[in-house]
Amino acid sequence: MSSARGMSMKAKETLAFYLFLTPWGIGFIVFLMGPLLASLVLSFTNWDLLQPAQWVGLANYKRVLFGPSQFWLAMGNTAYYALILVPLSIVVALILAVLLNQNIILRRFFRTVFYLPATLPIVAVVFLWQWILAPSGILNEILGWFGIHGPAWFVDPAWIKPGLILMGVWAAGSGVVLFLAGLQGIPKYMYEASAMEGAGPIRQFLMITVPMLSPIVLFNLINGIIGALQVFTQVYIIARDNKAAVMAVPYLYHEAFGYFKMGYASAVAWIFFIFVMALTLVVLRWSRSWVYYEGEVR
Amino acid sequence: MSQTLTTTPGVPANNDRNNRNYRRAKLAKAAANKFIVYLVLVFGAVLMLLPLLWMVTTSLSNNEYATSFPPHFIPTHFEFGKYVSIFTNHDMGQFFLNSIIIVVPSIAGQIISSSMAAFAFARLRAPGKRILFIMTIATLMIPYEVTIIPTFILFRYFHWINTFWPLIVPQLFGNAYNIFLMRQFMMSIPTELDDAAKIDGLGFFGIWRRIILPLSFAPIATVGVFTFTFNWGSFLAPLIYISKTRFYPLALGIYMMTQTSNRGQIPPWNLIMAGSMLLTVPMVLVYFFSQRYLYEGSNVLGKIT
Repeated sequence: MSSARGMSMKAKETLAFYLFLTPWGIGFIVFLMGPLLASLVLSFTNWDLLQPAQWVGLANYKRVLFGPSQFWLAMGNTAYYALILVPLSIVVALILAVLLNQNIILRRFFRTVFYLPATLPIVAVVFLWQWILAPSGILNEILGWFGIHGPAWFVDPAWIKPGLILMGVWAAGSGVVLFLAGLQGIPKYMYEASAMEGAGPIRQFLMITVPMLSPIVLFNLINGIIGALQVFTQVYIIARDNKAAVMAVPYLYHEAFGYFKMGYASAVAWIFFIFVMALTLVVLRWSRSWVYYEGEVR
Repeated sequence: MSQTLTTTPGVPANNDRNNRNYRRAKLAKAAANKFIVYLVLVFGAVLMLLPLLWMVTTSLSNNEYATSFPPHFIPTHFEFGKYVSIFTNHDMGQFFLNSIIIVVPSIAGQIISSSMAAFAFARLRAPGKRILFIMTIATLMIPYEVTIIPTFILFRYFHWINTFWPLIVPQLFGNAYNIFLMRQFMMSIPTELDDAAKIDGLGFFGIWRRIILPLSFAPIATVGVFTFTFNWGSFLAPLIYISKTRFYPLALGIYMMTQTSNRGQIPPWNLIMAGSMLLTVPMVLVYFFSQRYLYEGSNVLGKIT
């Protein structure tokens, strides 16, 4: 009977679906959901991996939030870093993308060059910039030509965060590619029509380009903020013991893998996670007032 | 000039002479704009490339030059000594090999597992599919710093510290981003192909292996490149799991080279830059040969929003 065969086909397809999903299912449980729940449980305990774990309730959360620790210093530094680096990177990427979107010869060459720094291994980038920004390094030498006495970038507490931000902006090129793709999706007639109305390039940029790109700006903003808040490698290598650049994930790393305070570090991780989620929601909420979705109700 | 030149810009005046003047002014203005555009672009390109040039020239210079002050842009003579030294005095050859041992199975695992899950989500019907897909996408929001501690405890329990397993095994099961990227692509392959294959007697595994995978070259390449990029420069995971020198991947090896002070001195910058070059060049090569896929990948990423 055809209906019986149909049933068995359907059952076969269901079976195949779950078989194909098995590898990812294992990864999902063992490396994502399992650790997520384990981390939540750990955050209510004290455990140094040697003695048996002790249940301490909310004590770790209290200590993180109200105890004498570098947590708030780390949060402040991380927020400072992310909230300056990300908007700055977006502005730079947007300007470069708009210029590239003109009728430019060598467009592909420029696009490749702008994206290149963003593809390099972060460890190599860190050492390169430590060398460039050394107190008697090449950048301060160049600044010297113009009579500027350059700071001791990664050594001076006042200049370590600006130095990290400078390094981050150098790798802003991944945004260029995304913006360029978005720009090519803006219909030409919009610019032609506005030119007929007498709009200049700056007015066109503000009234057409920016609103049409606003969904991509939002995407870059959220992705960028989440990524920048989670910064680790550059801070770990450059900042070491510099208090001016204690940041969230390196702080968590030292608590967990330096002092083996697994429970306390898990509480730090959850508070940080909640903080990042809250900030993301705030940005999303705020974006309703400036993101323009063409012909779409969200 | 007469007062009649009060026409709106963009609409040519009736008067012939005014028209010509207007066009000439417009051309001059366009040329000036173009000039500024190129000026900014070239300036930007120089700012992006100069640091890289600095890395190359430093790595090719001798000790005297690298420590001289003020620094010179172009060395007076080039030498490849540090490229020999990183292999003979430091174990960069071993570290390079370690990185390859980690990266190759990770790429294979990501491609196979992610493409299987993507195939299920794109081509098969089953109860629970919608909710499972939403759960998959939701994992994109789980930050790594929440999961690293329990994952470390798990691998420590397995006695996998100072082995490559903690760096490879988590990659073998795919991830949500790669699954999403491949699914988006597979949805665009006509389903008639599946039906025709079924008539020819191919099972679901055969359809995945013989129809869908061969047609999915672009997303497979993208996932491969992303996995390579992510693992080649990876620093945090090796820092957590590897403390024995002979197991260092390249990025950690270079970092450790800068930490082992020689009588209280940092190793010379030309040596560090040579090591950084060894780390950078494979990545740049991969980037040049895969640009197209990277851009496609970022486009799909843009569409999640």
